Amino acid sequence: MNFSSNDTDDMLSETVRRFATEELRPKLREFEARRSVARDVQERFESLGLAAIDLPEALGGVGLGLSSRVLVNRILAEADAGAALALDRFGPAAYVIETFGGSDLLERYRDLLASRPETRLALLIDVDAGTVLEGPVRGEAAWIASGNADVLVCLRRDGAWVMESGFELEQARGAALHATGASRIRYGGAPAHVWRDSTLAAQAWAKVRLYHAALIWGVLVDAAGFSRRYALERVAFGKPIAHHQALAFLIVDMEIAVERVGLLIADAARLIDAGMDGTGAAASAFVDAVEASRFVGPNAVQILGGHGFMRDYPVEKAMRDSRALGLLAGGTDAAQDDAGAALAPANPMEFAA
Amino acid sequence: MVDFSLSDFDRAVLDGVAAEARVGEKYARYYDEHEDEVLPKSFPEAAQFPPIQQRLRGRPRDDTPMLLLQVLMRIEREAHCGVPLRQAPTALGNAALGAAGTDAQKARWGNLMLAMSITEPGAGSDTKAIQTTARLDGEEWVLNGDKIFVTNGVRCDGAIVWATVDKSAGRGGIKSFLVLKGTPGFELVRKEKKLGIRSSDTAAYAFRDCRIPRDHLIGGDEGVPRGEGEGSASYKGVLKTFNMTRPFVAAGGVGKAIGAFRVARDELAKEGIAVDFDDSRHARSATAQTLLELEADIEAATLTVMHAAWLASDGMPNNLEASVAKAKGGEVCRTGPQRAMDALGAMGLSHDYQVEQYLRDGRIADIYEGTGQIQRLVIAREILGYSSAELT
Repeated sequence: MNFSSNDTDDMLSETVRRFATEELRPKLREFEARRSVARDVQERFESLGLAAIDLPEALGGVGLGLSSRVLVNRILAEADAGAALALDRFGPAAYVIETFGGSDLLERYRDLLASRPETRLALLIDVDAGTVLEGPVRGEAAWIASGNADVLVCLRRDGAWVMESGFELEQARGAALHATGASRIRYGGAPAHVWRDSTLAAQAWAKVRLYHAALIWGVLVDAAGFSRRYALERVAFGKPIAHHQALAFLIVDMEIAVERVGLLIADAARLIDAGMDGTGAAASAFVDAVEASRFVGPNAVQILGGHGFMRDYPVEKAMRDSRALGLLAGGTDAAQDDAGAALAPANPMEFAA
Repeated sequence: MVDFSLSDFDRAVLDGVAAEARVGEKYARYYDEHEDEVLPKSFPEAAQFPPIQQRLRGRPRDDTPMLLLQVLMRIEREAHCGVPLRQAPTALGNAALGAAGTDAQKARWGNLMLAMSITEPGAGSDTKAIQTTARLDGEEWVLNGDKIFVTNGVRCDGAIVWATVDKSAGRGGIKSFLVLKGTPGFELVRKEKKLGIRSSDTAAYAFRDCRIPRDHLIGGDEGVPRGEGEGSASYKGVLKTFNMTRPFVAAGGVGKAIGAFRVARDELAKEGIAVDFDDSRHARSATAQTLLELEADIEAATLTVMHAAWLASDGMPNNLEASVAKAKGGEVCRTGPQRAMDALGAMGLSHDYQVEQYLRDGRIADIYEGTGQIQRLVIAREILGYSSAELT
């Protein structure tokens, strides 16, 4: 057992932190307003090798594993979760491609992304899909966290498909994660690839959940930290508001929530990196991250009072972004189902009934 | 006997309010996305709906207390995003004028729209820490200081401004003054950019050697009480205003939770996911359970609001109950839209649906006019029998 980080992760953290602090955080509201991240920031992100941190080295990635990815996502999201999503053009869709299509397909899309700087993969999670995957697939989604996409990747409980044409995106407005843009999507094309394998789907979904959970983690680390520092400076009734027990205990509960999210994510990522079954642990980590976001996000606003409600401070954004992230990756109900199923593996059908 | 039923007359009034609110809802998203714009005094559709006074004409005298009906009307409006087709001609400052002004002041300024300006960059919940000063110079008061978060502060005709005439006197030195727009030295600094309730304008003010006539002191008392004591009539008078407004703020929160609940229920029904109240717990889906719990929570919050309003309307003390209602209303409009969004999934984030706006708009209900923490402090003092000096 070892809770300490290794040298590689320490160096990685330092690089990502410097990038996030210098390039993302000062432009928080600018990226929100323009609904995208500036091109030069995108280029710098990719030149630092942060774009494919956990993809195999053979594919131009760094091959560091999911544990490093969650670390990177956390630190980026501490600065701006929307920008973190925008910067990663492969995004969590990479896990679906990698899991089902293997390195050949991953390499193909890697080349596509390299040749066209505006290209990105969009991921759709269709939790309730019940139809058999044959011929054209039709459907729509009111909100996906992507302003544009050249390839649509859909993950379902029973498999996945990839569509390269036959879908259209319409710009949508939404509550949060503005820097990555948002779209309403309608699709009705024939998928370029279709896979049916629920075991692989569960494995891909576990990574997708941890990817998002780590972003929530980062937003909450920032929200809890920002509001804690504010509470030490803001004076009311003759002393810093952190000295009033109602707020002191609230701050403590927020810290505990953030701490436990981090540990659950790290544990699930470690299992997956070790080649073990991490589906239950990843689902639990996601559920807990969302639970924590419901508590920490709004209370960071609460601690700042009226100031927290104003866009002069970042906590209102943290509340919106963390809430939005919890609705991605298929949401918590599905994650609870999977976490529960992992606890009762002997007869899953009986458990579900 | 406890009776929560409404008369047919009141039910019809509320139905009318809901119909009007549904029309106002059409404008909610526009003003959410166009924060720089201020709502017009009335929208064209307002002509289709009789003013509320007209609706209430002929209401039986022994009906449900009027304050209760007003609270229920607020819930109904906020459950449809709360963009009024007609803007109220008054604001919180009018209530303060009514509570603490002299008869002459009420007659003189009663027809103006008056905002209430208390909060400062460094003084929110701790109102006695305000730094804005008022100094008597001959027949004029000279005001200096900065104010923020002034609700209706952009569109109002003037504001009731809190300032201290003697910092050493603590809250006893705090008085309120009427300052009209256009007075030299009174600057509207900005319209605040907010997380939500963007159809309601919020202003920041600056006062720089702003001179107002001596008789603009609310209550007309020019004496300056010394030392910590009961506080001045103005301070207490204005604080009393909040005892009456707390149930309304709570009602606003409850309304937003109801609005979010309705969106989730209706959109899920369209997708064939209906909540069956007769299902046993083990046969219920997680979504159905979420909606059932939300509805129960909303019902509980509504009852706390009604109780507080009922006490006030009967002239009974409601300090405890008003804070309970405010704390509960502030909570349910946070957890309610959150649950509704969970039930809807990522579509709940889209501006095509109002549910995310209820979350953003509702977040303020647990903050303004006394944060949830302040309400808990008030409740603790009441049920433990401590004074404000003993428990802070």
